[in-house]
Formats: sequence, C-alpha cells, structure tokens
Amino acid sequence: MLKKVTGLLMAIVMVVVLAACGGGNDDKASSNSPSASSPASNSAEPSKEAPAEKVTLKIIHWINEPVNKYYEEFNKKFTERYPNITVDYQVVPSDATYDQLQQTRINANDTDLLALKSGFAPIPQEWAAGAQDPLWKQWIDTGLIADLSNEEFVKSYNPVDVQNSTTYNGKVYGINMGKVAFSGLYYNKKIFADNNLKVPTTWDEFKGVVDALKAKDVTPLGFAGKDIWPYNLAVQGLSASVIKDQGEFIKGLWTGSTKFTDANALEVLEKAQYLLQNSIDGVMGIDYASLPSLFASGKVAMIADGTWNAPTLKGLDPTLEFGYFPIPGSNDAAQNGSLAGKYDMSWMVLEKSKNKDAALKWLAMQSEPENYAAFAKASGFLPTQNVQVEDPFINEISPYLANFKLAWDQLFINRQNAGEHVSGSSVHAEFLSPAGPIKTPKELAELSQKEWDAAK
Amino acid sequence: MALLMLPLLLYVIFAFGPSVATVFFSFTNATGLPGAEWHFVGFKNYDRLFNSSDQAERFRSIRNSLQFAFLVVLVQNVVGLFMALLVNRKLRADSFIRATYFLPVVLGVTVSGLVWRMMMNPLGGPLTELFKKLHLDTGFLSSYGASFEWVIFVQIWMYMGYSMTIFLAGLQSIPKDLYDAAYIDGTSRWQAFRHVTFPMIAPSTTVNLLLSIIGALQTFDIIYVLTNGGFNTRTLAFDIYRDAIANNTTADYGLASAGAMVLFLFVFAIALVSLVALRRREVDL
Repeated sequence: MLKKVTGLLMAIVMVVVLAACGGGNDDKASSNSPSASSPASNSAEPSKEAPAEKVTLKIIHWINEPVNKYYEEFNKKFTERYPNITVDYQVVPSDATYDQLQQTRINANDTDLLALKSGFAPIPQEWAAGAQDPLWKQWIDTGLIADLSNEEFVKSYNPVDVQNSTTYNGKVYGINMGKVAFSGLYYNKKIFADNNLKVPTTWDEFKGVVDALKAKDVTPLGFAGKDIWPYNLAVQGLSASVIKDQGEFIKGLWTGSTKFTDANALEVLEKAQYLLQNSIDGVMGIDYASLPSLFASGKVAMIADGTWNAPTLKGLDPTLEFGYFPIPGSNDAAQNGSLAGKYDMSWMVLEKSKNKDAALKWLAMQSEPENYAAFAKASGFLPTQNVQVEDPFINEISPYLANFKLAWDQLFINRQNAGEHVSGSSVHAEFLSPAGPIKTPKELAELSQKEWDAAK
Repeated sequence: MALLMLPLLLYVIFAFGPSVATVFFSFTNATGLPGAEWHFVGFKNYDRLFNSSDQAERFRSIRNSLQFAFLVVLVQNVVGLFMALLVNRKLRADSFIRATYFLPVVLGVTVSGLVWRMMMNPLGGPLTELFKKLHLDTGFLSSYGASFEWVIFVQIWMYMGYSMTIFLAGLQSIPKDLYDAAYIDGTSRWQAFRHVTFPMIAPSTTVNLLLSIIGALQTFDIIYVLTNGGFNTRTLAFDIYRDAIANNTTADYGLASAGAMVLFLFVFAIALVSLVALRRREVDL
C-alpha cells in the first residue's frame, strides 16, 4: 500500500516540478499577436469611465534615487487619475539582484511592467553565428513581451530613437526613456581651478593634468573597482576614442581580420593600466554606492561614471561644482570630441500580464510631454522625446553629444563560454596590475585572444 | 498513516522532487523561460563544464571549493574546540561569553558579511586603518591574491560559535568521575584531554566535522555578500548560482543542473568517506 501511495506521489511531484520548470510552444503563436484588448486610443487617453474592478499594477525597477523619487510622485498622480489602480512599485539594487528579480518575475508572470537596463543591444548579427541571443530577444521570441507598435503613446517619442532603441523585427516592444553617456570623467571644477588646470582634449594633455595634480598631492582618479563595471566605463571611453570604428573591429574579431592583440586594442589596455596606476589607494575595494560621496568629498579630482549620476552628485552637495568631459584616449583631439553611451532604461509590458490595460495606461501617462520632461530632468537622461529640458549639466555637455555614438558594450557580441578575460560585454583591464595579477597589457591581450579563439 | 504521509508529501514536493528534476534538467538545454523550447542534449552540459574555453575557471572553482572546505573544517573545529574548553568552566559571566561567541551565528550571513565589508572598507574601515599603521597589505576583499582567504576567515568567524556549542554539549556530558580517577592516577592536564576528553567527545567531533564539511562545500551566500564571486573567489556552488541566475545573457538551467550534480557527487563522496572514517574512529575509541 505504502509503495503504491509513494509511487503515486512521486509521479504527481515529477509532473508538477517538470511542468513548473519547463515550457512548451503552445503559447508562442498566440502571444506574439498584438493586444486586441487595449486599443491605442484607449490607452493614451485618461479613462472617463473607470472600471469598477480594483487592480494592482506591479512594476519592478532598480535603485536610482532621483528616478525612484520621480516615480513615487508620478505613481501618486497616476492613482489620482485612475483611483481603481494601485501601483506596487518595487525597487532593488541595480546589480545582479535586479537581473535575478527580473528573471524570476518574468518566469512566474508576476509583474506587469519591467524596466530593461538598456535599449535592444547588442543587435544580433549574421556574422556572429553561434552567439547567444540577448535576453530581450529571447523574451520577445517566446512571446513574453507585448507589442506596442499600435499604441498611440509611441508616437510621442522621436521615431529615430524608437527605431534604434526598442524596435525588433519591425515591431516596437518597449518605450525607451532616454540616452546616457558614460565614456567620460566627472571632474571637480574647484580642484581644477585651484591648480590652474583646463579640461584636457588629448591624451598628452590628460597626462599633464594627472601629473600636475599628483605634484600638488591631489589624488587624480577614483573608480568603483569593487563592482568592476564602473571602472570599465572608463576603459570603454578609451576604446571609443582609440578604436576608430568599434563596430568594424568587433566584426573583425569574429571574421578573423582583427585581434585583441592589434596595436589599437593594446593601446586601450596600456592607457587603462595608466588610469589604475594613478587612482586612489584601495581602488578595487571601492563600491559603486560609495563613488559619489568619494567625489563630492573632494578626495579625488576625477571619477569615471555615467551622466545618469549627475542628479545624485547634485543631490549630495548642491554647492559642488563639477563638469564632465570625454576621456581623451587619443592624441588626435578630433577623435576625443564626442561621448559614447547607450540607450538607457526601457519599459516593457508583459504580454500575459493580468493588468495589461492598466500597464498601458501607465505608459501612456508617462509619455505625456510634461510627465516625460519631468522624468528627463530627474534622471539626467538625454531625452528621446522632442522636449526641452533646462538642465545646466546637460547644456554644458551638449557639444560632446552632437556625434553621440554607441559604446563598446552596446556593440560587442560575445562568444559562448568565453574565458573570464573576454567574458561578458567588456574589455577586462581590471586584470592588469596594480589591480589584478597580470603585469603587462601584452600578456592580457594575448590571453584574451587565446580565450576568444578557444571559444569558437 | 495520515500523519506520516503529510511530512512525506512535503519532503517529496520540496526536496526529493526538485532533486530528481535537477538530474533530469542536467541533460537538457532548459532556460526556464516560459514558452522557450528545450531539448535533451545528452552529456553536453557536463562536457561544457570541463571542456569549454572557460575550463580554467571551472577547475579553479572546484579547487576553491576543496580549499575552502579543508581550511574551514580544520580551523573552525580546532578554534571551536579550543573555545569550548575555555568556556566549559565556572566563569563569572560564562553565559554572556558563550552568547557572544555564538552571536555571529544568530546575526546571519548578510549582517556578518556587511559588518566585515565595513571593517575592510578601503575608505576608512577600522581594519584597513589598523593594517595601514602596521604597513600590511590592505587589499582584503578586492585582492586577486588574498580575497579568498579573507572570505574563509569570515566564514570561520561566523560559524566557530556553532562548532563551540556542539563541542560544549559534548564536554558537559563527560562524567566528572573519569577526570577524578585520571588525576588520582597522576595524569597531566594534556594527558586528561588526550585520553579522557577527546575520546569522550568523539560523537560531537563527528557531528561537527560532518556538518562543517557539507556546509563548507555548499557555501555560496557569504561569497555572494563579500565579493559577489569576484577576485577569484568563485566556488562550485557559486558557479551554479551564476549559471542559473546571475548570468546576464541567459539562465542556463541545464549547465547549472550539471554543476549541481557534480557538486552533489563531491559532497556525497567526501561526506561518506568522512562518516565511515569518523564512525570507525568512534568505535576504536
């Protein structure tokens, strides 16, 4: 008897477990179709007849204080307009914690809206055969993301930005909230003025600034080395100015016409090592959360960070005077004249969301010009709508934005199972001494190329 | 019968079932995405574990797991036993001292990890300042050469109170008559420890060693809190988490399940050998 019952239990459990973890294709065909339940005209306009049913709109996002504050205010306005909708806005740290939350909520269909950390990048290319599809593509291909192509509010955004940020196979699957640049360095204007320094426009000038600061016992550079990626922002800045056409270089890595050991790639590593050699003691122990206060305290003259953190710096010390310039990796000033970055946060609606109509209303209200302009001001993003945002910081860096280009991590398509020196989407200069165990850029470049070749 | 079935049902659903499913998934390319196709791929995931371009990192993770287990088991139990011997006497504030030693266990991994991260913060952390004064390396958790040893240190700090408590229970169950008889025979303190105390706490030693071996081989949480796997601190258990969840390209449940099976074999083999050896030792004593 016991054997029979146990056997039956086992069978039930296996069915439950496998059904929960796996998935068939049955949903695929139906879920790719645009939503019929929420026509564009309904979602863009405030609801005159509020549905009686009370719903809770679930939104997941990451921690970015100024942006979170904006959304808390916006959500209040939203619930005033739609009293039947309660907004459950959850934020977690932007590191792997958010990736984890995003994945589990999508798998469990337990959110209505989610923020993607960027636009749709890198775009899969036919020359990168065998590369793993980016997550957003996997989600769209499996019918998990709602098609927003026919929604009226999409028209509020610049068509070029919609096309470049959240369009895939001719359909719009997200709303991108703006661009950010991250290939530059924040500099403390007071420290520069006190030491009669000007913003450098070439690599030699930059070295001159570093030497002058060191001569006055001022620590030139600070990075959030503990989290690795913030330091890699600076490396990407060097790459953007040293490698003339990064897209072609990456394609060449796949086709064999370029190598990590090429002179320009090696130059990036050499200059990245220089940055490490001239940074604050214990640089690899500093986490990203501590970086703004390190800079605001005046302990370092320059830090590598994205333009998205300008509101945080202002919030820390309103009297702090700071500016931002592209890392001048080249000795040709023309090559250093523009910033590189990415399309930042994009909102996506889950196709199978129980509250899809409410999610579309939320996006529609968010897209209204006055709400979007308030968002752009709070976030420090470069707008993807045609709105004017009066922000002295953005105005100051606007000359660098005229020829805005995509950064390395938005273009690089990696091979599967690549070794740690070429893993992910960055050039891994953090392995160089004094931060890491590899002594020379040449050694790191050779190791990277070896791992790249082995990952074929 | 019903009383027996309920816990059995819970065990099968929440422990045995998922374990069997892990074996199953280790032979598939499942990603966990609802609607995504998955297929049986034979031993491909096992082949990827040990035969990919990142194999050097995989082997380093295994080596780290074994080093972590060896050092934690050895030092944690030696220190735990030493502390148990110290507090197993009439002291004025013995309860307070025992509670203090046990406190890190109560605090938990996250709090303990954050405390040590603050202690080792390069921007004014107390330990950093102390080491600077002593002209010692302050790389701590951000050094490719030393961060793994610091993670081991924090793990031992966290759980030595746990080992101490188990040893203390063993020490307090030893009849005093045995010591009286030994001292009448003129035994020294060391000989009393060697020939009375140590044999009599053999069951506590077995429990402590087994728990710490299994716990150390499966450790993932403290690494996550202290270094998030950076600076060469990844272990086999951390790789499973990374492959399943923290990989920013996709969730590779198949690869993670294969890693989990390898980890299981390690834990099972080492725990079994240890158990047999420790039981035999108990009988001999």
